[in-house]
Amino acid sequence: MNDDETIMSIEPDKEQLPDSGLAASRLPLVTVFFRSFMIQAGWNYERLQNLGFAFAITPALRRIYASKEAFNAAVLRHLGLFNTQPYMVGFVLGNVIKMEEGLARAPGNTELEKKLIGVKQALSAGFASIGDRVFWGRLKPITTQFCIVIWFLTGFYGWLFTGDGYRPSALVVFSGPLAGIVVYGTFAVYLRWIGLKKGYACGGLANCGLDAMRWPELIRRLSVTGFAFSLLIVLGAFGLLIVHNLPGESKGHLALKLALVLCVMTLQRVTRKFGRSIFFAMGIIVAVSVAVFTIFNPEKFNIYL
Amino acid sequence: MIIALKALISSLFAGLLQLDNVQAGQFLISRPALVGPALGWLNGCPAEGAKIGLLTELIYLDFIPVGGVVPPCGLVAAAVGVLGFAYGGLPESTAFFFGILAGFLYANLEYRLRVLRSSWIAGIEAQAKDGTLRLERRLAGSLLAESAMTGSYVFIFSWLLALGYGLGLCAGFGALLRASDFAYSLMPWLGLSGLYFRFSTQVYKK
Repeated sequence: MNDDETIMSIEPDKEQLPDSGLAASRLPLVTVFFRSFMIQAGWNYERLQNLGFAFAITPALRRIYASKEAFNAAVLRHLGLFNTQPYMVGFVLGNVIKMEEGLARAPGNTELEKKLIGVKQALSAGFASIGDRVFWGRLKPITTQFCIVIWFLTGFYGWLFTGDGYRPSALVVFSGPLAGIVVYGTFAVYLRWIGLKKGYACGGLANCGLDAMRWPELIRRLSVTGFAFSLLIVLGAFGLLIVHNLPGESKGHLALKLALVLCVMTLQRVTRKFGRSIFFAMGIIVAVSVAVFTIFNPEKFNIYL
Repeated sequence: MIIALKALISSLFAGLLQLDNVQAGQFLISRPALVGPALGWLNGCPAEGAKIGLLTELIYLDFIPVGGVVPPCGLVAAAVGVLGFAYGGLPESTAFFFGILAGFLYANLEYRLRVLRSSWIAGIEAQAKDGTLRLERRLAGSLLAESAMTGSYVFIFSWLLALGYGLGLCAGFGALLRASDFAYSLMPWLGLSGLYFRFSTQVYKK
């Protein structure tokens, strides 16, 4: 069998199909792609994502291995420890499927089997690191910023002034979070599919797919985008606070409110610097609020923001 | 009776959405900013649901689910917050803080569920060896268990909140409720600063 006879040939040459049980059909890869959405199903502490990985790769293994014994051995092989970022799993799956094809052509080759497991572990760690930075560290917070910006632009400020009784339409309420989900979901699905294709195309190499995108550049751009959005949102929020309070409030009260906000931001910064979670800062705010309201009972001065 | 039924349906819906959080999909439809308004809309308070949801999300963005870390559950926090407000009769601010507490405590349950699933491995390997493995069934069981656990937790926590709030009102906790309103009004700023400093650290990191 030559290298073009593969499970995921883009244009399979049916006349050259081998008689070893492998098929040049796109179908198993599509099934693997859909199953890859369940990569974290059955997540457990002993082997992490092993059940999801075995579940996702099973249709390809079924196509690759004609004999039941070889198929069982392959499934068993993929019940070992596995952990990566869920959206990046396509790269690892594609690569491993290609290597399984090689192993099927050389049954009993323990060196190749060891290499397969080694490459799988190396790739899972590499893509976990990249995926965590791209998705959890940057893209997810950016989708939250999308939501804030949309609510901001449509005049729904309840998320900033919690006492605001304005009731926006359902369209406004849902458009904020859904906009982010559409962008995020589209990119995540695209990456899963592209990962599977590219992983399969360069299967067998420990750096396979790591050059599929310019990851450092993407990560840097996402950071800059997120920072720009953050800055705009914080400045906009300060602007809203001033505009919202100017007509009815004395300058003293407005200054007090601005000082409160700055205190909260400083508190967050300091707790973060000392490695404490946001719950720590939240706990301090709640404790101070309870102390102030039970000791001084400042009912006459409404200092709620 | 109708209130209990609506609360139950909302809890089951939350349990269903929880599957997106870890086990299936990760399309972000389990994010608090969507769960809050969705449950709020189901229960007649979409604006309050949106506020509770977004503020929960801003706070919970501080936690990243890397490796084997089980972060506090934003979906549970938002669901308990909204149901506590809609059915428990709690003020929005108090419901929010108890929701945050519920999400924090839920992480422990999630952890135990993951530990429990580890005990499956030996049996699954034995089945794989003799070719009788039906992984679909195992995973379906896992999804069902998680969904049921989340739904039950949200339902029970919300009703305990309602009960506790009723008792608290009798004990005269008025000052505490005003304190809760005040602290709640500062939460958007806490969340926004978290977001700002996260990205500024990334941009200026050498």
